[in-house]
Amino acid sequence: MNRLVMIGGLVVVAGLAVAVYRAKLGAEETQGRIDGLKAEAVKVEKDIAVMRAEEAYLTRPERIGPIARDRLGLEPASPDQYTASEALKQRLGEERLTLPAPDAEVPAETPATPAGPAHQ
Amino acid sequence: MSVLDRPYEDVWSPRRARIVAVVLALVFVVIVGRSAWVVFNSPARDDSGGAVAEVAVRRADIVDRDGQLLVTTLQGWSLAADPSAIWDVREVVDALVTVFPAINTKQVTDLLSDKKRRFVWIRRGVSERERKAVKDLGVEALRFVEEPQRVYPNGSLAGHLLGYTNVDGDGLEGIEKIFDERLKQGGEPLRLTIDASVQFVLEEELQGALAQFDMKGATGMVIDASTGAVRAIASWPSSDPRKRGDEPAAAKTNRALNVRMELGSIYKPLTVAAALEAGALKTTDRFNVSAPVKIGSATVRDPHPLPNASSVTASDIIIHSSNIGSSLIAQRIGPEKLKAFLGNVGLLGGMTIKGPQTASPLTPAEWNQTSMATVAFGHGISVSPLAFAMTYTPFATGGEMVTPVFLEPIDPATIQHKRVMSKQTADTVLAMLRRTVVEGSGKLAEAPGYEVAGKTGTAEKPTPDGYDPNRNITSFGAVFPASRPQFVVLVVLDEAQPRTGVVRTASVTAATIAGKVIARAAPLLDVHPVPFAPIVEAASLRTTEGTP
Repeated sequence: MNRLVMIGGLVVVAGLAVAVYRAKLGAEETQGRIDGLKAEAVKVEKDIAVMRAEEAYLTRPERIGPIARDRLGLEPASPDQYTASEALKQRLGEERLTLPAPDAEVPAETPATPAGPAHQ
Repeated sequence: MSVLDRPYEDVWSPRRARIVAVVLALVFVVIVGRSAWVVFNSPARDDSGGAVAEVAVRRADIVDRDGQLLVTTLQGWSLAADPSAIWDVREVVDALVTVFPAINTKQVTDLLSDKKRRFVWIRRGVSERERKAVKDLGVEALRFVEEPQRVYPNGSLAGHLLGYTNVDGDGLEGIEKIFDERLKQGGEPLRLTIDASVQFVLEEELQGALAQFDMKGATGMVIDASTGAVRAIASWPSSDPRKRGDEPAAAKTNRALNVRMELGSIYKPLTVAAALEAGALKTTDRFNVSAPVKIGSATVRDPHPLPNASSVTASDIIIHSSNIGSSLIAQRIGPEKLKAFLGNVGLLGGMTIKGPQTASPLTPAEWNQTSMATVAFGHGISVSPLAFAMTYTPFATGGEMVTPVFLEPIDPATIQHKRVMSKQTADTVLAMLRRTVVEGSGKLAEAPGYEVAGKTGTAEKPTPDGYDPNRNITSFGAVFPASRPQFVVLVVLDEAQPRTGVVRTASVTAATIAGKVIARAAPLLDVHPVPFAPIVEAASLRTTEGTP
């Protein structure tokens, strides 16, 4: 009986020892993965910083202005491109702003949709 | 029965079992002990030598008010060497010269000849191309060290304001120096009030002025009058932070903040405001400015005669920039009240700024009739352009002055509003400024739709031998849009000489540039233009004064 208890105890102790070793190894592996992820995070942060700097470099006004002008034909809005909302009728013409009611039948001779700005 | 008489198994089996048990017990004690030691006493991990080194605090970025990146920190490379591993110093130096032609060969030779040292810096902050070129040299004693480097993606944009750091990341100039501690703490970017687009417009127009004028220097600024937020501030010649101060003195000088100037007639609206505020002037009062006047020991003249010079109003004096009229108005309030008014608007010092500091003013040693007469039209007093620009904010806010602000976000509760004149005085002077642009010396500053109100200033530069009539400081102080004022603009040109023509007063120099800046900056600042800007204020003034 004593022998069985002792052997059983030894087996339990041995099992615990193995478990401790495995836990230790597992912890080290986990720590390694954490270190790897941290290193990756640092690298990604560096990459983001580089990309943000590149974005700022590429979108600097000195570069974007000429590109917008030369390739897209964009210019800063000039004052004559602004108008007060109450002056729209005068500017676009009364008939252009006569919009049909949403459910009303549109007469054939009436434009179905408002036209763009008149530039006569 | 003795032991010898007992059977062998009876004697040795229990003893053997005990011995085995003891040995096994010892083995397990060792195992358990070792396990406990592993669990509780294993040495702590040292990450410093592992894959993840301790990450140093990254110096914070600097961004504009919209988050546009102005300054950041990237990992870069610096070149170092191990002198003890170099056999032929001359050969290494010759090789380095092929990559870095401007390198100081004597200094590097001395460094590499010191065989007692194992580490010396050769060059801090090298480009990727230089790094590859050095690697191609194949010199084993040379090695690269990764370290943080300050990067300015926009080049010289806002260079004077931003400043720069040394190779170790310590702020040496500008925002980098003023907010060095905050930036070193890392974390969120430092957000400035600057608008990168408006800053670019301002700098481009100052640079572009060179096409029209030969000039020694220039400065300009755009300020939100309601908060004091500095949306753009520039000095020309520009400064490139990437050069870390290795520039000519002219480029290093920040004319917006660190230079004090006599700015001339843009003081006249202040003189008129002081007199209105003191109750010593009415808009209907008339002055005779047809002949020079002697006030104290100064004889004040107008460079050009005014229309109807024998009977002009304060408005006419502003519109046509009469020195005589301005001095006569100052005479009504006297030197002490003029001094008090100018002190109240911060021109005699004491303006507190949370950010870059301005040069202290140079004011008259004695405030008497003579100094009063000249200060009334902007001579005999020198201040920094930024300090002066802030004095125009009351004309935009109905009489309240603000101090310049450089950092966002702006807490409305912390804005320092200081009433320096009544709303009536502010509105009256603003109307005069609008008329100056519509029909007076500031016509070239008009930006259609943006109702520019402003004043020209032309000041001869002081020299040890008196004022030099051939060298001018020309300036234009503006508020826009006049019907709903939001921004103050100041442009100052140093010794601007038109490339064509002989007129070099502010009406053709600084006013032109200010108008261009406003026309381009206003849409970026969400100021909607008035298609056909009525001159309401000017019309009302005409009615009250009875002028044609």
